[in-house]
Amino acid sequence: MRFPWNRAESELEQEIAHHLHELAAEYERQGHSRAEAMRMAKREFGGSEQVKEYCRDERRWAWMAGLWQDVTFGLRIMRRTPIVTIAAILSLALGIGANTAIVSLMDVVLWRDLPVPNPQQLSLVNWQGQGFPRELADGAAGSMLRSEEGGSVANFFSYPGFRAMRDSAGGMASLAAYVHSGAVSVSYEGRPSVAELRAVSGNFFSTLQTKPAIGRLLSESDDDGAASAAVVVTHRFWEEALGGDDRVAGRTIRINNQPCIVVGVLEPRFYGLVPGDGTELYASIRHGARLLDPDSGDKRLFDNRFWGVSLIARRAPNATAAQLQTALQSAFSGSWSAQPKDASRAPRVRLDDGGRGLGFLRREFRNPLLVLGGLVTLLLVIACTNIANLLLARAAARQKEVAMRISLGCSQARLMRQFFTESGLLAGAGGAASIAVSYLTANLLGGFLQGRNRIPVEITLDLRMLATAFATTVLALLIFGVFPAWRGSRMLDAAWLKQGGGSMVHASRRKWNTGRVLVLAQVAMSVVLVLTAVIFTRNLLAIESADPGFDRRNLIVFETRPGASGYAKKQLPGFYFNLERRLAAVPGVSGAGLASMRPMNIGGWWDTVALAGETERHSASINGVTPEYLPIFAAQMVAGRNLTRADVAGEAKVAVISEDLARKLGGTSVLGRLLAFVDGPPNASKPTFEIVGIAPAMAVTSMKERPYAVWLPFESERSDATVVLRTARPPAEVLPMIRQAIAEIDRNLPMVDVFTMEDQIAKSLQRERMFATLCNGFGILALTLAVVGLYGVMAFSTTRRRGEIGVRLALGALPGDVLALVLRDGFGLVLLGMMLSIPIVWVGARYVEKELFQMKPLDPASLAPALLLLLVAALVAVGIPALRASRVQPVQTLRQE
Amino acid sequence: MTFKKTELLQGTLDLLVLKTVAHGPIHGYGIAQRILVTSKETLHVQQGSLYPALHRLERKGLVTSEWRESGNGPMAKFYSLTPAGRKHLQDEAAQWRRYAGAVALVLES
Repeated sequence: MRFPWNRAESELEQEIAHHLHELAAEYERQGHSRAEAMRMAKREFGGSEQVKEYCRDERRWAWMAGLWQDVTFGLRIMRRTPIVTIAAILSLALGIGANTAIVSLMDVVLWRDLPVPNPQQLSLVNWQGQGFPRELADGAAGSMLRSEEGGSVANFFSYPGFRAMRDSAGGMASLAAYVHSGAVSVSYEGRPSVAELRAVSGNFFSTLQTKPAIGRLLSESDDDGAASAAVVVTHRFWEEALGGDDRVAGRTIRINNQPCIVVGVLEPRFYGLVPGDGTELYASIRHGARLLDPDSGDKRLFDNRFWGVSLIARRAPNATAAQLQTALQSAFSGSWSAQPKDASRAPRVRLDDGGRGLGFLRREFRNPLLVLGGLVTLLLVIACTNIANLLLARAAARQKEVAMRISLGCSQARLMRQFFTESGLLAGAGGAASIAVSYLTANLLGGFLQGRNRIPVEITLDLRMLATAFATTVLALLIFGVFPAWRGSRMLDAAWLKQGGGSMVHASRRKWNTGRVLVLAQVAMSVVLVLTAVIFTRNLLAIESADPGFDRRNLIVFETRPGASGYAKKQLPGFYFNLERRLAAVPGVSGAGLASMRPMNIGGWWDTVALAGETERHSASINGVTPEYLPIFAAQMVAGRNLTRADVAGEAKVAVISEDLARKLGGTSVLGRLLAFVDGPPNASKPTFEIVGIAPAMAVTSMKERPYAVWLPFESERSDATVVLRTARPPAEVLPMIRQAIAEIDRNLPMVDVFTMEDQIAKSLQRERMFATLCNGFGILALTLAVVGLYGVMAFSTTRRRGEIGVRLALGALPGDVLALVLRDGFGLVLLGMMLSIPIVWVGARYVEKELFQMKPLDPASLAPALLLLLVAALVAVGIPALRASRVQPVQTLRQE
Repeated sequence: MTFKKTELLQGTLDLLVLKTVAHGPIHGYGIAQRILVTSKETLHVQQGSLYPALHRLERKGLVTSEWRESGNGPMAKFYSLTPAGRKHLQDEAAQWRRYAGAVALVLES
């Protein structure tokens, strides 16, 4: 190859040749023979190689040339031990890749701004108060959380309140409203599909400053109820459901069988208000509210006692948050239907950072991500420790080479650079390979950090990710590269050169050499990782095998939405009655019931209940069910009676409660008493239900939470219902006949989200399963690395002690004694490492505890298998060198010495 | 004031080389010879330090070089002063004179 330094090299050669020529010519003139003159010239000039070396140091490309030499030499060294090299690169790739993946995920979920201009100007408008403001509102849709300072923070406002606040913000900010998204059925040019729709105010996109890819986005004029319904679709939806049609703007799309106009397509980078936001359609707020809730959505929007819209604001550059807060507060208070008696407990507007979008993913995944981040960091450190150990061993094997170079005038700095270059080559290769690993892992992980609508969080291979991989590689290089470089380059006395054979007599005889200390650290860190894996696996098993209180086999769950398919309100009771009867008659079906809420699905219908006239309140999960529903789950009632057909038909004010709630309220004496739902306005009469029955306690929302349950008569005019079927045979055999029965009732009626109960439960545990799988993967990786490290150190030390062992055997020690000697040495290391891990485990346990289900992180049932696993692994790593050492032939080794 | 053959005060070699090159394009051997002759055989420049010095000055942009035919034989590398080199030479020479004068004053006091 022609490099600048190659040309300089030949010029130098020529220059020196010229000098010698001139010098020789001079001597020739003085009367010496030509040969003699040349010899004299050479002698006078001195060591031409040395001169060349000095000149090289003065050159512009000197460092590059040196680096090139280092790199080619390093590559040659790496090629000499290919398996070690590949193992090192692979463990680095996995370590760095896992780190990059987790950091990328943290970036997307926790740190990244919304893809809009000047995201720092965005604020989420919330209010802070003391629980639900019953004096001001009758109903709400949105979320309310406990705030850090006590009290609660909620994100819902009334639509009239929003209009007043928007007007009062004036030039200080642009304020937009949106509602919780919901599923709708869509038909475009005869092709049906299901999509997620969010109703937003006309200024929603102008507030976010999002741009259209095609057509226009919504405007204030679309908020007019008389205008035709305008819809904006996401780029992804446009590509997948609308076939990427360029002329889509202005076309009609049918949503829940209502005609709407597609006015435009969003720019591709806009993913919604939060990563994994599944919203595909944005409708103007009045039309959207009507589409999502045909019966009362529109009416509710103008009721200032129904708080159902959420707000996002963009502040003008010159407006402060405090000014905006004051303006919004006065408009907010002014919009209330009444003024609260205790003004100090009234809701107060609060502005939260909105640059990163909505916060629910951040809240939910912050802790799991931090735990994973900690684990992958430990994993990387273990991998680095292994490589450092490897490099140290290699440096020890190269001491002769090093001694040679030092005596030939190589400086320590130059040697350090050589060693560091070799580490850099390893790190570079590992880092490059890690990009693929991290890309794959990150998207795998994105699947489990799903947003609200099970849309995976997508990670793209972008500059940030590459930068992360690079930074992690540099970090890894610093961890494993610096020390071996320093150690390897340390000045050694010339005695090294004189040594012959493979004898290592003068090698460090100290008990605690660096390799052993590193292995100690590795053992300590693998204890942490293995223990975490065991804890989360047990956690998953505990949740999965917990008794839900009913037989989870042979159950089918699906949803039906007759309301969206065109059934009128008064047709619905008949439809549901018929549906239940027809399904119960399908061969293989032993029970069919309807419910308003899907069982084993987080979320749903919650309320606070109390016995009428008493103050003791309990939060409970509510469901409306038909008489056939409860017998599917429980063979018989604990006390009292089940709901009846007459209860459903007559909308009777009766309730069945779970056994655990009954026990809390006073046992079977509660039968016949009135149960009040207290979440409602304080003065209005609270709805009360007579308790007619007590059913066995069971899991109703998830395997993890076990809330109290209340079952009310099914509201038979609702637009959708969940069907639950008990089958006598495996569900897969019965399902075709069920589909046929539904088709016979109405060919156009879709069955939505058909699952067996076991699948439904598994789906609700996806996050726990993924977490346990990841921890197991990391644990196995860590254990493997630690075993390799331990094996390496033990094998090295027994090889070094062959002479000593030979002497011992020659003096009468038995092979068993030698075995015990090495085992004691190895297990001493392992046990000490385990003890070192205690502080990390102790601190980590407190982080992890929140994530666990009815389990302490450090109970003996977790510790025992983890430690046992480590000891077995250690036995393999220590046992093989120990056995080999015990079979040493004394005569042979003594001859070698 | 005499120097032993090998001892050049640190930093003076660059100055001597610059001054020598200032007379016009000259090759390495010529430089060594001319310094020896003008110093009346007192300053003997070691080849081991002459060439690194030339390369250093070239890297700093104080001298440039070109290959041309030397009087009797093979191609040689001829060095000449750049404007920056000329400026540098003036400064360094003035500095050196001040220094040498000061040392002389002290010694003769």
